[in-house]
Amino acid sequence: MAASSKATVVLKAVKKIAVQFCPFESNVRSTREFLAMVGSEKARATNMNCEVISTVKHDKSEPVVDITYLDGEKLLLKGAKLTSSEMLSAFQSLCTAKDPQAKVAAKK
Amino acid sequence: MAATLCVKLLPKQGWLPLTQSVRHGSKAVTRHRRPMHILKQKLMAVTKYIPPTRVIPPGAYPSKTKHVQEDNPLMLVLKRNLNNVFQDSKMIAVVQNSASNAEDMMILKHRLNKHGITVKFFPNQVVRSFLKDSVYSNMAPLFIGPTVMFVSKEPKAKEMLSTLRASPQMTLLGACIDNTLLTAQGVVSYSKLPSVAVVQGELVSGLTMLTSHTASMLQRHPAHLSALLQQYVKQQSSEDSTQGAPKAAEAT
Repeated sequence: MAASSKATVVLKAVKKIAVQFCPFESNVRSTREFLAMVGSEKARATNMNCEVISTVKHDKSEPVVDITYLDGEKLLLKGAKLTSSEMLSAFQSLCTAKDPQAKVAAKK
Repeated sequence: MAATLCVKLLPKQGWLPLTQSVRHGSKAVTRHRRPMHILKQKLMAVTKYIPPTRVIPPGAYPSKTKHVQEDNPLMLVLKRNLNNVFQDSKMIAVVQNSASNAEDMMILKHRLNKHGITVKFFPNQVVRSFLKDSVYSNMAPLFIGPTVMFVSKEPKAKEMLSTLRASPQMTLLGACIDNTLLTAQGVVSYSKLPSVAVVQGELVSGLTMLTSHTASMLQRHPAHLSALLQQYVKQQSSEDSTQGAPKAAEAT
C-alpha cells in the first residue's frame, strides 16, 4: 500500500508512544502489529529520545495507542476495529504534517 | 464560361492535375481497439448492461470440502519438540519482542541461562495447531506477531521479571506456570509470593497457635494457673450477670 510502503516509520516529531492492550482478547492483532512496527530498531533509531512503552492489561478493555508529539499534541488510536496499516498511515500522515521542513529537505 | 476561361489553363483534353490532394479520414473498422470519443465513452459507461444477480438455490453447488493441510514432516518434528517442551517445563512464558538485535538477544539469553531458563522460538502456526489439540488451548490467542517463549523447569518468576525489565522492548504477555494460565499481573503477584516452605511454616504455626498457647499456660507454675482460672471464672460470672441484666432490660 502506498501509505506504508516505506518500511520504517519516522518518529522525529514524536515524544512518547504508549500502547496498551489485553493479549487474551481477539481484537488486538492490529495493535500488536503496530507495536511491532513502531518499536522496531529502525524506527527507534530515527529518534532515540522517543520512548515506546507497552502495557499489558487483563480488563477486557479496548486496545489503545496513545501518542504524544513534541509540541504537546496527542493522538489516540483505538485499535479494536482498525487494521495495522490504517493505524500506520494515520500516524505517518500526522507525523509528516508535524515535521514538514525536515522531511521536505531530506526528500529534496 | 469555365471552359472558355480554362482554355489556357487546361490545354489538353482529359488533363490530370499534377498534385492530387487525397483527403482520407481514419477508418471505422480497424485491427486495433479504436479509441472512442469521450462522449461515446461516457454514453457506453452509462448504458452498460448489468445483469440481474441470479439467486443460486442452496444445494446447487456443494462447497468444496475443506482441505485440511497435512502437516509436513518439519511441522511434525517441531510439534514433537513442542510436546517435549510442554511436558518438561513447569513454567512457560510468552513474550513479545517488537525489536531486538542479535546483541540484545544474546545478553538476554545469557542472563536467563544463568537461572536455567531457555529461550525458544517456534513458528506461530505450528504452535497454534499444536495448542488447539492439547489441553492448553486458551493460550492460543497469545501467539500473534513476533513472539518468543521462555521455558524453564523451575518457576523462577522473579528473576525472569527482573531480566525482562532490563530490556525495554520485551513485553510479557502471559505465562503458564504449573498448568495454570496466568496474565502479566498474575506473574508479578506470583513472583511476590513467598516460597512454599515459608507458606507451609506460616500455616502450621497458625494452626498450632492455640494449642501451643494452652501448652505454655499449663507449663507455668500451678499457683499462677489456679489464680488465672479463678480470675477467669469471676469474669465469666460477671459477664453472665451483666448479660442477664441487659437481657432483662430488653425484655421489659
